Amino acid sequence: MDAATLTLVLVIVTALAFDFTNGFHDTANAMAASISTGALKPKVAVGLSAILNLVGAFLSVEVALTVTNAVINLQTKDGAPDPALIADGGQAVLIIILAGLVGGILWNLFTWLLGLPSSSSHALLGGLTGAGAAGLGWSGVKWNGDGTKLDGVVGKILLPSLISPVIAMLVAFTGCWLVHKVTNSVMHRLEERYFRYGQVGSASLVSVAHGTNDAQKTMGVMTLALIASGHWSSTTSVPTWVKVSAATAIALGTYLGGWRIIRTLGKGLVDITPRQGMSSDGSTAAVLLAASHLGFALSTTHVATGSVLGGGLGRGTPVRWSTAGRMVTAWATTFPIAALVGALMWWVADSVGGAAGALVVFIILVAVSWWIYRQSRVDHVGAHNVNETWEDAAEVTSSPAEHGVLDASEAPPSDDVEPAEPTETKTH
Amino acid sequence: MNTIELVLQGASNVLFAGLVFGAGLPFIYAVALRVLTIGSVDYAEADGTIRSRPRFSSRVVAGVLIAVVIGGIVLGLVLIVASGFGMAVSFESFPPSIVEK
Repeated sequence: MDAATLTLVLVIVTALAFDFTNGFHDTANAMAASISTGALKPKVAVGLSAILNLVGAFLSVEVALTVTNAVINLQTKDGAPDPALIADGGQAVLIIILAGLVGGILWNLFTWLLGLPSSSSHALLGGLTGAGAAGLGWSGVKWNGDGTKLDGVVGKILLPSLISPVIAMLVAFTGCWLVHKVTNSVMHRLEERYFRYGQVGSASLVSVAHGTNDAQKTMGVMTLALIASGHWSSTTSVPTWVKVSAATAIALGTYLGGWRIIRTLGKGLVDITPRQGMSSDGSTAAVLLAASHLGFALSTTHVATGSVLGGGLGRGTPVRWSTAGRMVTAWATTFPIAALVGALMWWVADSVGGAAGALVVFIILVAVSWWIYRQSRVDHVGAHNVNETWEDAAEVTSSPAEHGVLDASEAPPSDDVEPAEPTETKTH
Repeated sequence: MNTIELVLQGASNVLFAGLVFGAGLPFIYAVALRVLTIGSVDYAEADGTIRSRPRFSSRVVAGVLIAVVIGGIVLGLVLIVASGFGMAVSFESFPPSIVEK
């Protein structure tokens, strides 16, 4: 294997690894509410979401080759790499992509360790922006659009991330309020079941949409690397093996389930009932689909979190604002920190030089990932304890109002909840 | 037009569509379930569980409302599939049609 091929292989493997983290990081967006309300058992939820992500990924026939165009000037308008950059056989482009992917993966893993839902697409684009700025100079970064459409770091990342949680919150709040207004006087057991159906339906839509949108991004990045290194030439199609491997990676990641994040989003923020869950999931699905239809780029994570919050507030359920605060901090830092890591990785790769540089960056990725994995085993969160009571209940600051009473009557019957296994205490 | 205007315009469109579908459909679904309880008869099963039997007219109305909700879900699926194939759904006419992007 020559040096150029080795770099390409490392980029492809890293891209699939990113896709995998993208899957498990975002399982919570679709399924956290369904798992916490008992609409679906944890394992069933992640299995369903994984299958739907796979289906969604295969539905994306269109090529999302221009994914990096949102933030850096690496490609021409039709998606081919900038000709000036591939004069050296594509090595420069490959190193930027590799460093960017590593920035995205490490931030995804770190936020997963902390159990914080942060945007995977912001992590990817942040990493690429940092690596792009390091490799191409500041002029390589696209800060803002030209005024005719939303583009660049400001138009596609910064402003949408400020606005999308608010939109989702308003929609979920309204939905939840209306649903309760209508059904408050009749709380039959039968109905709770039907609200769970509604919830599973909308959560499923979110999963399919996630597979379509996010797997496409990895496919685009992989194909860009193949074109840059001269192994592919079409800008209108993706090699079949790229499609199959990216779809499989995101589905496997989803099936693994980011239990730590599911727990935070499903239990840590607000304890929601099936009716609130249906309003939240309905809002997430509608806002995501409307935004993608209208070409308004927003992050699934921000929408899902805003929806859960809105569903909670719509019923006056106490919100753990400290958890919400940590999430917002994670959102605000995702893009810049992933960018810093991306830039640092590019610098390491460039200092070492050539395929050896790529190899060093890859080894750093594996080593840090392994360390994060070891850390995660100390307080393991899995399907068995994802729904356990959130401990710092004392943090709850808003008024519990009448909700305490409702909670008792609306709690899912015990046969819907997976029996909790004894918490693991031994260290691994 | 500057970026702020573009963002606000995009955001208000998303908010509007989100409210119509994201809050509207759960609301219609809830109304359907509420309708089922109007004039329904409660009865006890052999094991003592209380269940209720909705009236026929309630079932018809609820059925229509739930059909609207299912229509919304199908529309969502069509949006996803269409965008996956590089197409878009046009709401210019009724019913919405699939067009080239």
